[in-house]
Amino acid sequence: MLRLALRNVFRHTGRTALTMAAIIAGVVGLMLSGGFVRDIFAKLGESVIHSQSGHLQVSRSGFQESGSRRPERYLIADPARLEGRIAAIPGVSDVMARLAFSGLLNNGRSDVAIAGEGIEPAKETRLGTSLTIVAGRRLMASDANGAMLGDGVASALKVGPGDRVTLMLSTEGGALNTLDLDVVGVFRTFSKDYDARAVRIPIAAAQDALNTPGASTIVVSLVRTSDTDSVARELGTALAGQGLEVWTWEALNDFYAKTVKLYERQFGVLRGIILLMVLLSVANSVNMSLFERVPEFGTMRALGDRSAYIIRLVLVECLLLGIIGAAIGVALGAVLATAISLVGIPMPPPPNSDVGYIAQIALVPQLVAGAFAVGVVATALAGIPSALRAVKVPVADALRQAI
Amino acid sequence: MDSPRTLTLAQGPVREPQRLAVRVENLSKDYKLGDERVVALANVNLNIDKGVFLALAGPSGSGKSTLLNMIGCIDTPSEGRVLINGRDVSGRTPDELAGLRARTIGFVFQTFNLFPVLTAYENVEYPLHHLDEVGRRERRERVRHFLDVVGLSDYARHRPNQLSGGQRQRVAIARALVALPEIVLADEPTANLDHRTGRNILRLMRRINRATKVTFIFSTHDPQVIRMADRRVDLEDGQIVRLGVRARKEWRYAFERPPDGDEA
Repeated sequence: MLRLALRNVFRHTGRTALTMAAIIAGVVGLMLSGGFVRDIFAKLGESVIHSQSGHLQVSRSGFQESGSRRPERYLIADPARLEGRIAAIPGVSDVMARLAFSGLLNNGRSDVAIAGEGIEPAKETRLGTSLTIVAGRRLMASDANGAMLGDGVASALKVGPGDRVTLMLSTEGGALNTLDLDVVGVFRTFSKDYDARAVRIPIAAAQDALNTPGASTIVVSLVRTSDTDSVARELGTALAGQGLEVWTWEALNDFYAKTVKLYERQFGVLRGIILLMVLLSVANSVNMSLFERVPEFGTMRALGDRSAYIIRLVLVECLLLGIIGAAIGVALGAVLATAISLVGIPMPPPPNSDVGYIAQIALVPQLVAGAFAVGVVATALAGIPSALRAVKVPVADALRQAI
Repeated sequence: MDSPRTLTLAQGPVREPQRLAVRVENLSKDYKLGDERVVALANVNLNIDKGVFLALAGPSGSGKSTLLNMIGCIDTPSEGRVLINGRDVSGRTPDELAGLRARTIGFVFQTFNLFPVLTAYENVEYPLHHLDEVGRRERRERVRHFLDVVGLSDYARHRPNQLSGGQRQRVAIARALVALPEIVLADEPTANLDHRTGRNILRLMRRINRATKVTFIFSTHDPQVIRMADRRVDLEDGQIVRLGVRARKEWRYAFERPPDGDEA
């Protein structure tokens, strides 16, 4: 059967080429569009991780939900000890403490409400690869009273590197404290909202101003983003019963999940259209081919072939066509994805962001396998109605069509 | 016991069912063409002995092909029944009929109907894939034997489009014989061939019939071809009008319908 099917597939090279072109176009379309979307997800995820949240955050229970109003209530008393324990877990690249605070930033003329963080500058520099420095430089360990301002904060106060600002905040005991800071740089993340309120100062200065040795969160950076869930589980087990929570970057950034859901839905529709396109093109081509072969099927049945055998033969032919077409499609898709990725696709800033980026086409194994499967399954499905129709024609009528 | 309307073509008064290759009883076939009812066969009765070389003769539309299709179990009657080797084929499922055809009946078609993607050898071999009991070695031997019988041993690797019309029909004859059927049905086997080639094909079929005692039933409207048969059934308007047995190059008619159409 396989020999006969293979020869039948190539009996009309022109028609086979046309059918294969439809399959190849479908598979390539799925690979490129899917790879493009996956690249967007990956870039957005990495941008979130490397500009704000890190891969994981450990904080006191309830801090992520209610800590922004009273961060002093959710302090981790001995952050250094916790950092040491977390750093020993395999897959962890870096561990750093942050101390959250809220207050007012004053330039001598006006105030802006801010959401600040005391950070460990050296470690944050390693983590914050997606943080764009718009003006000045990054915060360094030697900047005892230095500050980095979000783009929106700097614009609102009309200050830049070299300017001096005053931070007013409440201590854990309720006293009002002020801190004079030298602006060393202005940064921009992918999120305009974040940049409109963000201020970063050395954690030592923040602890001093808030009169506490503690930290709000321990930020964990991993070697591989794909290890996020497994390390989170391990960390959750290790810290169980200590009143601490482990949050993944996806849980911390709700908008990421929403964005992914939106794009997934759009891509799902696109995938449906491509599937339909392949189905219709292949069904049309297969149908034409099978219609011409009705007398041949009549001959086969006259010679003793059962209808089920003919349906199987047509299915095998379609499967072969699908496999060959999808394989060529995958190869072509991989070449095109690589070529496009080398050149890059300049993308405008996404909504709520001022930062554009260069998109590429990700070659994800599951996606490639999915595109291949769609090519094969769509072709096989396309042949079934035609095959069923062909064997329904009475043998005598089928043979008469040959005359 | 035959019904009074049953007409038998046999050498001598043989009537035992085991001597009959085909028995057709009260066979009728009608089609609906729009609002009109077209009668293709009307109450045909016929016994065909094993081993005969029989021509179904008649003009176009007389019912030759329809009768051949009924005997070949590739069409179903509106009324009546067909017995192949004494076994009633009515009421059988399409798969059962396919099995019966695979083992009992060989077909030769007017348009040859060879598979274009297969070589002559593979075309001849094709019906054997239904027969699990035929091993690889026997399969090879049978295909080679029948290609030799039809004189195409040297063309085994040729595809149908590399063969002449006569050669294609020879391949079709070899294919019809390879499963060792008891009956070979040929619908206008010479219609697409020139006279000389057609005659040669008929001679080949007759030679095989005499050598193997396989029953050959073929339809034709060509008087030259009818002359080569040893039995003839003439049809007109879906009815048998004449039955002939050839003896010493002369036709002797066992039945002949009167010109007014009255039954004998």
